[in-house]
Amino acid sequence: MDRVPASFAVPKASDSRPPPHGRRGILARLHARYFASLWDTVVTLVIGLPLLLMAWFFLKWALVDAVWVAPEGKACQLASGACWAVVAEKYRVILFGTYPFEEQWRGFVTIALWIGWGIASGWRRVPLAARLWGWLVVAVVTVVLMRGGVFGLSLVSTDEWGGLPLTFLVFAGTVAGGVPLAVLLALGRRSDLPIISGLCVAVIEGVRGIPLLVVLFFAALILPLFLPPQLNIDKLLRAEIGMIIFFAAYAAEVIRGGLQAIPAGQEEAAKALGMPYWTRMRKIVLPQALSVALPALFNDIIRAFKNTTFFSILGLFDVLGATKAALQDPVWVRYGLEGYLFVFMVYLVFCLGLTFHGREMEKNAWRRLGRGEA
Amino acid sequence: MSAPATPPPMVEMVDLNKWFGSHHVLRDITLGLAPGEKMVLCGPSGSGKSTLIRCVNGLETFQEGKLRVGKTVMDGSGEALAAVRRATGMVFQHFNLFPHLTVMDNLTLGPIYTRGEPEDSAIARAKPLLERVLLTSETWKYPGQLSGGQRQRVAIARALMLEPEVMLFDEPTSALDPEMIHEVLDVMEDLAADGQSMIVVTHEMGFASRVADLVVFMDAGEIVEAAPPDAFFAAPSTDRAKTFVGHIAREGDQ
Repeated sequence: MDRVPASFAVPKASDSRPPPHGRRGILARLHARYFASLWDTVVTLVIGLPLLLMAWFFLKWALVDAVWVAPEGKACQLASGACWAVVAEKYRVILFGTYPFEEQWRGFVTIALWIGWGIASGWRRVPLAARLWGWLVVAVVTVVLMRGGVFGLSLVSTDEWGGLPLTFLVFAGTVAGGVPLAVLLALGRRSDLPIISGLCVAVIEGVRGIPLLVVLFFAALILPLFLPPQLNIDKLLRAEIGMIIFFAAYAAEVIRGGLQAIPAGQEEAAKALGMPYWTRMRKIVLPQALSVALPALFNDIIRAFKNTTFFSILGLFDVLGATKAALQDPVWVRYGLEGYLFVFMVYLVFCLGLTFHGREMEKNAWRRLGRGEA
Repeated sequence: MSAPATPPPMVEMVDLNKWFGSHHVLRDITLGLAPGEKMVLCGPSGSGKSTLIRCVNGLETFQEGKLRVGKTVMDGSGEALAAVRRATGMVFQHFNLFPHLTVMDNLTLGPIYTRGEPEDSAIARAKPLLERVLLTSETWKYPGQLSGGQRQRVAIARALMLEPEVMLFDEPTSALDPEMIHEVLDVMEDLAADGQSMIVVTHEMGFASRVADLVVFMDAGEIVEAAPPDAFFAAPSTDRAKTFVGHIAREGDQ
């Protein structure tokens, strides 16, 4: 005879229904998050009150007591708050550096173009190819506009370029040249051919072991000593090449991480279909690897934007270098804090923009790969 | 020289040997697959059957012996490798579909990029294949949106797009839930009935007895026994095969 088990389960037919609601309302939620228990309340007050106090002091200095217009800096000397007049007075030097004053409309157009396409291409529905082609057009227009010498524009040598347009160009060049180079280095490092993999390891590890400052000094000042004098490469271009190699060395390792995340079966399937190496990489492996590497890659890209500040040590005036130069003026030299805060805000805005771009690209990538095989 | 009575094999291995490091994984493998016939490779895990089938299309290399697929003798050259891969289609245990591409793109990418076939012609060929594996409604989905059985059927259609002379199946149902195994086996039996030459590594002995012309039993890198399915299952001649068939039979009883 069968033993009757002590365990049990009750068959039951029930209609599906929505989950029970939690407590609603802003007050109820605030209470639940910040003041639910005595301990929560203490933490909220101990951390929150000093924050509020600091915010108040800062806002009083930055907004309430601030001076916005001050001819010759007179009004600023009497004020207890921030002297934003320095920005109003010096913004053209900050934004355009040593670029000739009467030609700075070109810089305005450039900045408008970059911000405009930056926002427009952030729109999710713009396909990646269209974004990249758009940036290529923007970059070419920028170089033609800044350099001049055609269409009746006067020629402006790259030594006089400066400010935000220079920062944009250096950054875009770094990413545009650096990402493909990084892909090649990452693939090369995985190569079966010892010479290729050895060379790639040497470049990656060598460059990663050297400070960016040294790379730039080498590219701008020492490299010309080794090159034939006829081969007169522009200083800006030489420094840019240094930036690209530095960026690529780091990004190569990020991309290698992405490559390692792709199961070996993907390449085997592509091989079994008869695809040759570059087709396998271009169509199967890299699209997946780059999607995986995207968050870390954008980390490097944002850092590349900030690394443009290193150009000032070569006598090229990026935004930060131009600000430093602008604040040499004895009338305004006391208001360096305000000047630098303004530049920090500029950097913050652009870096946040890049972060946003990266998030959108990640979402697109995951929407594709998230459907991927488990 | 006299003309051979039977057509030469599609796939022929003569005294093929392979080592992983010092581990001798394939030992003096000699076999031939006649055109239109089906060969099932079975044996305990680690017996070398997957390595053997992966040697056929060059996913694994070997150190000694001869391998011929169709008219191509595998000599390690790039041309031979490309020719062998044109002649074979492979289906993997873990499907290995391309997750970033739709079902349709999974099918058409190979022919478009390896043979330079125009896209519309590849799409036109893909449609009846998807119909054949009963996946017409999933054409524009991504692999991650499909069940395991559906994914494996896509993988079969993808391999068939190359119009291979030989299909290679490497444990095609081992990663599937039991209720999905039959839908994949049905497609494979349908292919077999059409006269497709194939080599199948599998533990599905029901499939082997229904479809195989020859069952090859491997253990420890050697071919231990080779016989038509009736003879093999009814009376294995070696102890090792007897033990293996006994295990399989016990599983079947459950």
